[in-house]
Parts: sequence; structure tokens; C-alpha cells
Amino acid sequence: MSKTNKIANTLLTAVLTVLSLAWVYPVVMILLNSLKKESAITTSSAFQLPDGSSFAGLANYADAIGSKGFLSAFGYTLLITVTSVALILIFCSMCAWFITRVNTWWSKACYYLFIFSMVVPFQMLMFTLSATADKIGTSLTLGNLADALGFTVSKSTAEISLLPVNTPYGICIIYLGFGAGLAVFMFCGFMKSIPLEIEEAAMIDGCGPLRTFFLVVMPILKPTLISVGILETMWVWNDYLLPYLVLDRTKGYTTISILIQYFRGSYGTVEMGPMMACIILTVLPIIVVYLLCQRHIIKGVVAGAVKG
Amino acid sequence: MQRSLKRWWPVFLLPTFAAFCVGFVYPFLQGLYLSFCKFITIDNPTWNGLANYVYAFTDASFRQSFLFSTAFTIVSTLAINVAAFAIALALTRAIKGTNLFRTVFFMPNLIGGIVLGYIWQILLNCVLSLLEKPLLSLDATYGFWGLIILMCWQQIGYMMIIYIAGLQSIPSDYLEAARIDGATSWQTLWRIKIPNVMPSITICTFLTLTNGFKLFDQNLALTAGEPAHASEGLALNIYYTFYARSGPQWKGYGQAKAVLFCLLVIAISLIQLRATRSKEVQQ
Amino acid sequence: MKKMLALLLALTMAFALVACGGNNSSNTGNNSGNNTANDQTGDDSTAAGGEVYYLNFKPEQDAQWQELAQLYTEETGVPVTVVTAASGEYETYLMSEMGKSNPPTLFQVNGPVGLANWKDYCYDLSDSAVYGELTSDEYALKDGDAVLGIAYVIESYGIIVNKTLLAEAGYSVEDIQSFEDLKKVAEDITARKDELGFAAFTSAGMDGSSDWRFKTHLANLPIYFEYQDKGISSTDAIEGTYLDNYKAIWDLYINNSTCSPTELAGKTGDDSKNEFLSGEAVFFQNGSWEYANLVGEGKYTDEDLAMIPIYIGAGDEANQGLCTGTENYWCVNNSASEENIQATLDFLYWCVTSETGTQAMGGGEGAMPSGEPGMSFVIPFKSAIESPNLFVKQDAEMLAAGKTPVSWNFTTMPSEEWKNGVGSALTAYAAGTGDWDGVVSAFVDGWASEYALANG
Repeated sequence: MSKTNKIANTLLTAVLTVLSLAWVYPVVMILLNSLKKESAITTSSAFQLPDGSSFAGLANYADAIGSKGFLSAFGYTLLITVTSVALILIFCSMCAWFITRVNTWWSKACYYLFIFSMVVPFQMLMFTLSATADKIGTSLTLGNLADALGFTVSKSTAEISLLPVNTPYGICIIYLGFGAGLAVFMFCGFMKSIPLEIEEAAMIDGCGPLRTFFLVVMPILKPTLISVGILETMWVWNDYLLPYLVLDRTKGYTTISILIQYFRGSYGTVEMGPMMACIILTVLPIIVVYLLCQRHIIKGVVAGAVKG
Repeated sequence: MQRSLKRWWPVFLLPTFAAFCVGFVYPFLQGLYLSFCKFITIDNPTWNGLANYVYAFTDASFRQSFLFSTAFTIVSTLAINVAAFAIALALTRAIKGTNLFRTVFFMPNLIGGIVLGYIWQILLNCVLSLLEKPLLSLDATYGFWGLIILMCWQQIGYMMIIYIAGLQSIPSDYLEAARIDGATSWQTLWRIKIPNVMPSITICTFLTLTNGFKLFDQNLALTAGEPAHASEGLALNIYYTFYARSGPQWKGYGQAKAVLFCLLVIAISLIQLRATRSKEVQQ
Repeated sequence: MKKMLALLLALTMAFALVACGGNNSSNTGNNSGNNTANDQTGDDSTAAGGEVYYLNFKPEQDAQWQELAQLYTEETGVPVTVVTAASGEYETYLMSEMGKSNPPTLFQVNGPVGLANWKDYCYDLSDSAVYGELTSDEYALKDGDAVLGIAYVIESYGIIVNKTLLAEAGYSVEDIQSFEDLKKVAEDITARKDELGFAAFTSAGMDGSSDWRFKTHLANLPIYFEYQDKGISSTDAIEGTYLDNYKAIWDLYINNSTCSPTELAGKTGDDSKNEFLSGEAVFFQNGSWEYANLVGEGKYTDEDLAMIPIYIGAGDEANQGLCTGTENYWCVNNSASEENIQATLDFLYWCVTSETGTQAMGGGEGAMPSGEPGMSFVIPFKSAIESPNLFVKQDAEMLAAGKTPVSWNFTTMPSEEWKNGVGSALTAYAAGTGDWDGVVSAFVDGWASEYALANG
């Protein structure tokens, strides 16, 4: 019994090894090809290793970073992700605590609305959401506010938007709204299992709701915060259509997913080298972060799924 | 406590809810309304009754994309779940390197759909080219299977993680008891393991089903619907109806299609949840 | 506390990256915009009134437009924003931008068929100064008497020849004066392919990266000759009188290529270009826009290359020139405010008349004030400078020698769907999975049905 088991396990390990090599291969292939010269990259030679005549060194990377604005796209993506996830974590956990602890018809209604929003596909809101964001971003300006209040400001201040939801600085508000469903749902699921007594004790000791929440509930919530944070990060970082439609590109705002599309010329030729370099530059930081905190990430996914 | 907390709703509930209104409720309701209108921008809709829905139902490309999405969803749901479950079973055995394997299989999940699409386009086109077959964008069959492979590559890891958690949470005395009773590993799998991971199966099926229908980024980057809309899923079809056509009627058609799409996804979620919930083991 | 620190660090890094991207916005990618210029002149712009927002079609000229916009802003104080749409995304992006509060004031259409989509947005340019600068009325896109679009670049295409290789095979460009000559040369090269080490034609590239070379550009020739015979410039039903010639040239391409016909569907346009660059083929059907990709360091020189007309054995071949025309027309958005329309017209006028503008649009190496290469366009305006582009020069020479250029009639093709239909049929024919009747049917029947749909 144990001998056959051992053989089976060895076989299994072998199969899994092959499989995991296949899993890594696509990324490795892109990495190798990104080191080739532009003219050496052809459709049918993607599997060949770069050799002396086709090796281009880091030229493609220099091109991707230098002339294509990779760094600024990376920066905007990072900014959007960090602000959005931070907002979602803080406000959605507060909201979820309120919903689970206050038992009224309207808190229940909110809860079901949030759940409903999880199922609705983005295409349903695509057009109206981008139009709304554009409206808010361009018409809720200091100038218009000043007009309404009856005094005037200089033109440059008048153009400052109060709620710049169509810029990387304000788009987190849209993400908070659109991403609230999953977050509230997960927080609520966890919160139901926290015993009320601890919070009540804190309240009786004279803590206000805010202090109770941040000093007592938040620490208990930590595992869920991590898993929600990871799920939302994965979503926001990789999102394409929402920033594509919402961001005001006349100001030069791009994200990595949008940038990747710019390696194609108007006559269909693709700058394959820089494009692959850009892919690698996009993927590498993700892999590094993943390897550093994979324990949390995998736990987060499990927790998210089990609660969901 | 409830009473003292209730007064604090502007602090706890309002920020999220306000953003939720801007980011979801308002656009959703407006979208619902606009699906009955003819409009170019949201400022000038004119009531159009059910004409948009009539068009959506008669539009051949919409039907085609519905079939494509349905076929894609069925195949990908089956493939992903079976493969993920199999790998999860393998990884819960006492073999070396489980952590490493798990890490590797999960990795593609972190890469965005657009980037994944481009990676696989390069890879698959190379394979097809070496086999002297038409490229992805020239043959919808290859486009379809290309998408399936891509989605498997991306999602198997995710589902595998959930299945592993499910398998590990089976109380060990169940398995022990089965072993003492002399159950074969096949019997253990069907009688003990599968019924006990039913919650995980529910979740994974639900996730893969909705992911299949909502597929957009990967579709756009890998095939962009080529050739001639033959590899175009519902989400992509709606996007093209909105943005690839100009003329006052198209926006309304797109919005009507989007509402139908939305209803479809909701219906699937409800049916699916009900169907698998009833099979779950009562504990 | 450590978490907060990490968060802060990430934010700082994001801001730093964004800032460093913004600093060199003049030469960073696609749409890093020229917001710096906007900021500096934001207050003056009230005086001039109006702003320009140009949605550019050609990603390869993005850097030049960004620089030109900035120069114009420095000179006049009028803010000009240039955003470039990703390739293949132009129409969808234009559509989403048109719905916004600040839509583009300047955009482009590709010809009469594209115009049909957008004509409700097009400002009538017939009284504009920039229209007066056009060298010929041919380059205006009209709807009745209204001038809705103005061509800003004239391009030529034909068969690009590697003269060096051709000489190795024992021929010269002068030997090819008709379809018969081309066929003889190509088939001779194929017969000696192993000995010579190169093929006659590059592989096709039937996917989106270069299928337009055949389903659109090559298909233009049978349409052109049919239009010539009938004396028309567009039609609701094509007869396909020259489809046999289309078949002949297509057969020639696929049977004398670097790979076997069945492999063609597995090649992309980039493969095709790379084959030509690495000397694997003598002939490469493409246009003047490809010049910058073929000439330069480690590539070819003007001495190596020539462009010859695409002979299909129809019409007067002795006097046939290159296929010359345009599918890039500027349109001004009529829903923009009056000041913005005026600002846009002024900007266009400046682009095609000023020293800087014409240099940037027409010049090659070092034509931009920053020392970067210009756009190398041939612009159909009176103050245009002479182009450094070899293929363009050849087009002018042929014109001077009395040859008639083949006009671009593919702008009258009924729809994209029609082109795709022809493209798929051509691919199937090459791969052996379809026959020529499929192409004929897609060409003739497809035209009628698509025309009816588009103009229904």
C-alpha cells in the first residue's frame, strides 16, 4: 500500500512539475522575446531563444520607459490603486459595522442594494457612469461654486474641480462606489460572527462609536481587512474599462492597461519589442509583491471565497 | 447600543452610500431609463419605447455573441472546475513542494486581463504559425479555444485555492472512519470529499459562470472579436454597439442590450445559487 | 505604524513617478499631453478665447503633434491638447470623447464612408482659410456644397522593390513595366529560389496587422479600373469586371512568396516587414508611410529601394502610376463652442502655412525644432515643403513623366464588414479551404448588401 502510494506521489510530483513549468512558461517566453531586436521578433520564432544576432539587451526596456511614458502610467496606476483600496477598506468596514449592528429597514435595504451591485456587470453602467463622472469632474468646479455664491475667482482657480472623479486623484470615489458591494458583503459576513459583548463593554466604558470602531472592531477585523484589501487591489490594479472611459485623457492620465494598447501603429504594425518589455515591467512588480506576501494573498482569497 | 449608533449614520453609512449612489445607483437607474430612449449624450434622450429591445432581440450579432458567450461559459466552467479540483486533490496529498506548486498556479490571477490577452496572443499565434494554421484573429474556432486556454491558465489557480481550503476543512475523522470501513479512494472521493466541499463547488461554479459571461478584457486583447465579430462575447458586443457605431440609435440599442445582459447575469446567479445550495450537506 | 509607513511610501512613489512622467511630457508617449503648457498660459487664454483639442489618429506621429501643439501654445497662448487614440480604437475613443463635456474640436475621418458616420458633427469648412490653402479641390471631402473634411496627408502605395536583390537575380526596375513583366520576374525568382536564397514576395499577413494591404489597397485596383471604364466615382453595386485581374495578382503574390500559400494565414504584417528587412524577399506591397521603417540605421538606404506601380494587367499599363490618395481628413467639430472652432481653424491654418508647421508636418530627420524627425507627410497645401521620402519623390517623378496615378477608391467601399468579408475569402482561397468564387461573391454580392445596409 505505502509503496504504491509512494510511486503515485512521485508520478504526481512529476506531472505537477511539468504543469507548473507550463504555467510559468508564457511569462518567461515574453521575457526572452523582450530581449530580442525588433526585426528578430516574428510570429513563428517566438519560441526561439535570443542569440548573438538577435539579442538587443535592454534597448526595448529603455524604449518602453523612455518614449512611451511607462513610469507615469505606472505611477497613476499605483496612485489609483492605493487611494481606492484605502478608501474602500476604511469606509466599507464602517458601513458594514453600521449595517450589521443597526437593525432597521433602511440599513437592510442598503445591504441588499450592495449585494445586488455585486452581480451587475459593468457594461450596464459603462456609458452612464462615464458620463456622470465627466459631469461631476468638469462642472463641480470652484468657479461654478463661486458663481453660485456670488463672487468671482481668477480663471485658473475657477478650473479647480471640487470632486475630480475623472482624474487619478479622485477616481477612487468611483471605485469606492462601484467596489462597495463586495467589500460590504464580506465585512458583514465576518462582523456577524463577532460577539456583541466586546463592543458593548467598550461603549459602556464610555467609548463613542467612532473610538469603539477604530480601537475595538478594527483590530478584530484585521484578517478580513487583508483579504478584502487583496481582492480589491487585484481588481483595481488590473481594471481596464473603467479608467479607460472615465479618466480625462486630455490631461495625460493613463494606466498601464491602457498604455499597453499604444504599441500598435495606425497601419497595424506593432512595436513588439517595447510592448513585450512593457508587459514584463508590468508583470514583474506584481510577481515580486506576490512572492513577498503570498501567504496573505492566498489566505485572503480563501477567506473571501468562503465568506462569499 | 443600537440606538446610540443609529444617530451616527452620517459618519458610518453616508460616505460609502454617497459614493455608491454616484458609482452605482444613479448610473444604474439612468441606464435603465435610457434603455428606452434614443440618445447621443445623456443630456438629450428622447423616449423611444421598446424599440431598442426589439432591435436587440432581432440583432444577429447580439444573438451570435450570446451563443459565443454561452458556449464559452459552459466549456470554461467545466474545464476550470474539473482541472482546479483535480489539482487541489493532488496538492492535498502528502507530496513535496505543494507550497511551490500552489504559488505557481495562482500567479496568473494577479496579471490583468489586457496584459494576459497580449501574452497569449503572442504565444498562441506562434504555435498556430508553426502548425501552419491561421492566426487567432482569422479563425473564430481558434479564437474560442484560445480564450478557453487563457481563462483556464488564469483561473485554475484561484479555484484551486478555494478547493484546497474546502478539502482541508473536511474533518479528519470522516476520512479516518472511511478508511477504517475499507472505502476505496474513489469511494472516499465521491462519498466524502465531494459532498463536503459542496460549498466550495458552489462558490467556484458561481465565480466561473459569472466570469465567463462577464468576460471582456481578455476577449478584447486576445481576439477583439475577429474575424467579423465571430469571437465576440456579450460584453464586447455591447461595448462595440455603444462605441464603434455613430448615430443616435446605437447608444439606445447598446443600453438595451446591456439591460438584457444584466438580467441574464442576475438570473444565472439566482438559479445557480439555488440549485447548488440545495445540494449542500447539512452540517 | 509599519503599515502606514508602507502606504505613505507607496503614495510618495506614485506621486514621484507621475511627476517625473509629467516633466518630460514633451517627448513622453502618446498622451502625456501638454498640460504644462496649458497651465502656464491658462490665464492668457481667456483673452484669445478658445482651446484646441485634437484627437490624433496616427500613434507614430504622436510625439510630433505634442511638440507642435506646445510650440503653438508658446507662440500664441492658445492651449492645444493632443490626444492620440490607440490603433484600432479611434472610432470607439472618438465616440466616448464626443459624449463628454469637452469633446475634441478636431478629429479625423477616413473618407466618404467614414464621413457618413460623423457628418452631423462636421463643421462646414468652405469659408475657412485652411480650405483656401488646399492645392486641389480633390483633397476636400464634400457633402453637397459643404466642405466637411480636408485631407492633411497624401500617401502613395505600390510594390516596394529591393533593388539590390533584384539586381542579384539579374533584373532591374526598368524591366518591370507591366503585369506580364512582373509575373515573369517573380516566377523566375521563385524557380531559382534556393539558388538565390530569397523569394519574390514577402508573406501576406492576413490578420488585422496588414490585411488592409490586400482587402483594401489591392482591391482598390479592380475597383479603380471599373470606375474608370464607367466614368463613375462611386457605386451602389460593383460588377467585378476586373476580378480576374485581381485573382491573377493575388495568385502571383501567394504562389511566389517566402512561404507556401497554406502558411500565409499564419503570418502577420510584422513578419512580412521583417522578411523584407532581412532580405528574404524582393517585393513588398506597401506604402510611403513605411519609408521610415525601411530606411535608417542598420536598414536600407535610398539606393536600395524603389516603388513600382501595382500592375494587374488592366488599363494603360505603360502610363500607370502609383496609387496615390488619402484616407486622412481633418474635420472640425461643429458642436464645439464658436471660440473653440475659431481657435481650431487658426491652429490648422498655422500648421499648414507657418514655417514651423510645414517643416514639422513635411520634414524628415531633424525637422522638428527639438531636433527630432518630422512627420514626413506630403501635405496637399500650397506652402508644403519638398518631402525627403523616397517613395513620395518617385510618385512626383512618375507624375512629371506623364503617368496617371491610381486614385484611392477604397474610401468608397461600403463598410468595414465588406472589407472583412473580402479579406476572409482571400485568406480561405490562399489556404485552399475556399475557392475564388467565394472572393467574387464577397466582392460583388457583399458590396450590394453592405451598401444597402449602410445607406438603407
